[in-house]
Amino acid sequence: MVQGPWAVTGPWAPNQTPEGLRRRYVRSILVLGVLLGGLLGLSVLIGEPSVLFGKAFAFLTAQAARHGVPAWALTAVSLVVPCSIVLGLIQVLPIFMVWWEMKIAAHIQVRLGPMQVGKWHGVLQTIADGIKLLLKEDIVPTGADRIIHFLAPIVVVAPAYICFAPIPFGMGGLAAVQMDVGLLFVLGISGLTVIGLLMAGWSSNNKYSVLGGLRAAAQMVSYEIPRLIALLPVVMWGGTLSLGGLMDAQQGLWRGVLPRWFIFYPVVGQISFLIFLISSIAETNRTPFDIAEAESELTSGFHTEYSGMKWAMFFLAEYAYMFLAAALGAVLFFGGGWAPWPALNFIPSFVWFFAKTFFIVFLFIWIRWSYPRLRVDRLMEFCWKFLLPWSLVNVALAGFLILMRQ
Amino acid sequence: MSYFKTVGGNAWALGKGLWITLRHMFSPAITVQYPHEKLNLSDRFRGALAFHPDICISCDMCVRACPSLCISLESKRNEETKRKDLQWYKIDFAKCNYCRLCEEICPTKPKSVHHTREYELSFTNRKEFLQEWRPEAPQPQGSDVGQIWNRFVTVGQKLGPNPKTNGSSTPSAPAAS
Amino acid sequence: MTTELKGPAGTVNEMADSLMAGPSFETKMERISEHEMLLNMGPQHPSTHGVLRVVLKLDGEVVTGAVPDLGYLHRGVEKLAENRTYPQFIILTDRDDYLCAMLNNWAYCLTVEKLMKVEIPQRAEYLRVIAGELNRIASHLLFIGTFGIDIGAFTPFLYAFGREREMILDLFEQLCGARITYNYVRIGGVSNDLPEGWVEKAKKFVAHMKTCLKEYDNLLSYNPIFMDRTKGIGVLSREKAIAYGVTGPNLRASGVNLDLRKSAPYGVYAKFDFETSVRQNGDCWDRYMVRRDEIEQCCRIVEQALDGLPAGEILGKVPKANLRPPAGEAYGQLEGARGWLGVYLVSDGGLSPYRLHIRAPSYINLATLQEILVGWKVADVIAILGSIDIVLGEVDR
Repeated sequence: MVQGPWAVTGPWAPNQTPEGLRRRYVRSILVLGVLLGGLLGLSVLIGEPSVLFGKAFAFLTAQAARHGVPAWALTAVSLVVPCSIVLGLIQVLPIFMVWWEMKIAAHIQVRLGPMQVGKWHGVLQTIADGIKLLLKEDIVPTGADRIIHFLAPIVVVAPAYICFAPIPFGMGGLAAVQMDVGLLFVLGISGLTVIGLLMAGWSSNNKYSVLGGLRAAAQMVSYEIPRLIALLPVVMWGGTLSLGGLMDAQQGLWRGVLPRWFIFYPVVGQISFLIFLISSIAETNRTPFDIAEAESELTSGFHTEYSGMKWAMFFLAEYAYMFLAAALGAVLFFGGGWAPWPALNFIPSFVWFFAKTFFIVFLFIWIRWSYPRLRVDRLMEFCWKFLLPWSLVNVALAGFLILMRQ
Repeated sequence: MSYFKTVGGNAWALGKGLWITLRHMFSPAITVQYPHEKLNLSDRFRGALAFHPDICISCDMCVRACPSLCISLESKRNEETKRKDLQWYKIDFAKCNYCRLCEEICPTKPKSVHHTREYELSFTNRKEFLQEWRPEAPQPQGSDVGQIWNRFVTVGQKLGPNPKTNGSSTPSAPAAS
Repeated sequence: MTTELKGPAGTVNEMADSLMAGPSFETKMERISEHEMLLNMGPQHPSTHGVLRVVLKLDGEVVTGAVPDLGYLHRGVEKLAENRTYPQFIILTDRDDYLCAMLNNWAYCLTVEKLMKVEIPQRAEYLRVIAGELNRIASHLLFIGTFGIDIGAFTPFLYAFGREREMILDLFEQLCGARITYNYVRIGGVSNDLPEGWVEKAKKFVAHMKTCLKEYDNLLSYNPIFMDRTKGIGVLSREKAIAYGVTGPNLRASGVNLDLRKSAPYGVYAKFDFETSVRQNGDCWDRYMVRRDEIEQCCRIVEQALDGLPAGEILGKVPKANLRPPAGEAYGQLEGARGWLGVYLVSDGGLSPYRLHIRAPSYINLATLQEILVGWKVADVIAILGSIDIVLGEVDR
């Protein structure tokens, strides 16, 4: 590891000496270990959520039967409660994800990141940022189309929320809505965001916003295709479009050793995952595909004319989509809520789901801070001339392998 | 075949980049969390100026050496000792560019005007920029106006004892103006 | 910014008109042809290295004309020189090209010493070389960092700044007390001798720098995305480079092997063994790689200088006060981090210079913008501008 000579001889503060560093490292690892261990213990105590919900629902049915509550009320509750839980989760998740991204970015760049707000390593930083954004003045440019300017963030964020409906957060159908065509639903609704981008770019009365919005829309539309086609082998292999079903198809072990996760499928699994990952990075407008946001050096991005909470909506949408893509990746490629080996089954499935999802989120963040940006035309070339042909080849290969197995 | 070589080569190069950032994620951060942690400055650090009126011989060399004309002094010729007595010495900290030309040209040993390691100097009032020293009051007074030196407790430690006086730890600070 | 300076070709706006062969860049948008538009890369911009305004004429995405508009950082340094004594002016040279201040100090002192015909002790010469080369490394590190940011890679910036450049600045702080405005190289020598243990620290730094260069290569230089963004972009051909008077790494990237430290060695450079890094294509990647290779060569020079450092005086026989060079003129130049940094001095025998002019390499290099930006897309403008590595303090003085 490259270690600077100044670690020992330089004019650094006392806590940069080797003993101080060792102390800091040990303390951080201990704190982290205690935190994670505590969370793990807590989740083990909670147990499987589907079991809990089943018990709660049975209890409620009994109570309803006793007190004569009509059946439709019960159905309403059984529909509303999971949806509200998932909605609440989507609100809370970006708070953690933004802090995590800031911390990872900082440590990649050998700095510390947020340290002040909130007693420990700036955990309340995102909340402080959120309050600041709420209190900001809402500026609408003169000559902007006010209605569309107002609706654009909504059209961008709403599909992100809706797409979380069929995602299984654990075993036993722990999704907000049980759907047979969950995968198709997610991919379809997430495509609606493009309209919001175009609305945002157009309504700002700024020719550079229009250009930026058009570029972002073109990028998002183009990269949906390899993403979709890369997921086809998963569907071919799993035999169903339902996300819960695809997750359950990955349970068990292959030859008693390797978990039956799709990513371990020879060649096809890895290529699928890579193409899915790259396309998802492009879909969420992150570096190295962030021309829409960062080329505001020359042409302003589509969200330049937005301030305060409206801008925060775009920001939220980006993180929600990032989590969505990671959740899809976890469910389709890493087995969702299933533990890799049966010995680890005591850890509840939602912990596995979140662990796998956050691993993929970590991949997103890691890639963002490692690479420079691709130029617009090279970006489109990359999609149409590289990802798309390879995804089609992937589908052919998957078909061939499935045929061979029969 | 060369197509696969290019793709493979690019993927390998990208992977190397990822490995470097991963390695750095687990190496110690170089941040020094100011103001809880501060760097140790070298001896020659050119911070804010300090002046010792008891050593100064009023030769005017620093006044002439300063590129920004930030030093001014007045002296009166003492007929008994045939030397010049310093009346007052002013430094305009708004103009000082921390170049150390005044310290270098000062002929006394130890230097009457020298840089300290004070980099946290700040003033709240434009008048406070012009700090004045008088020989009859070398120690800091208790009053508020002009006593910016007293606000920063660490200044005394950084300046060090004045070897010409009785060695007290607080050096001469500007008099109340 | 409206400027009514009259030059041989008329006012600035008229010159711009003739350059762009079209409507003046102060024109309203409606009057240019319907498929072209003017884009103002204004003085406030995250990617221009300082306050630079470039007016671009765009045809869709393609740049068809570019005019740099300078002067936002003009502080009248050359005029100020007429009211300062010779030693007092050194601090103003610090603030010219603030990224490699040692070399600026040195260029000015070189010129005054030429005028005064003063003998400089060997130790002082070696110290000047060490300080100058370390400063050149710092400047190139900054270039690597900011160029990476322009292209979109945020991480190398922090490695270059936070580790390596901080070490150099710490070394300089221990040497002369300041981190950027050094006031170290004086007329007749240098101002401070090395403190205790400085040589060991500098050697440690040089060894560390060499290992870090491999890291920069893996992270940035040979990154396929970076190479894709910079290879073949903004090509400055050899003839054009010579015609525009481009010097320094930009010239060496276009295939001309011209380094003042080799072709006309000043100081003790003739004693050191190093190579000039030359590349053939003249695109952005070559300009980047030339600077990256130069860091290696600077490390070599610093090592040799540290090893061969003679004992002795650090300041020659120069009056401490009332320095009056004989009347006359002199032009002294050296290889700065951005090109040939020259100082033209006219003395009338008094305490202050009669006229002082600084040949700023960034100012000359910037003139090529009008040519090399044309034909490239808007997204490449930032890359090309970054690769020329200008410092506005030097351009505007």
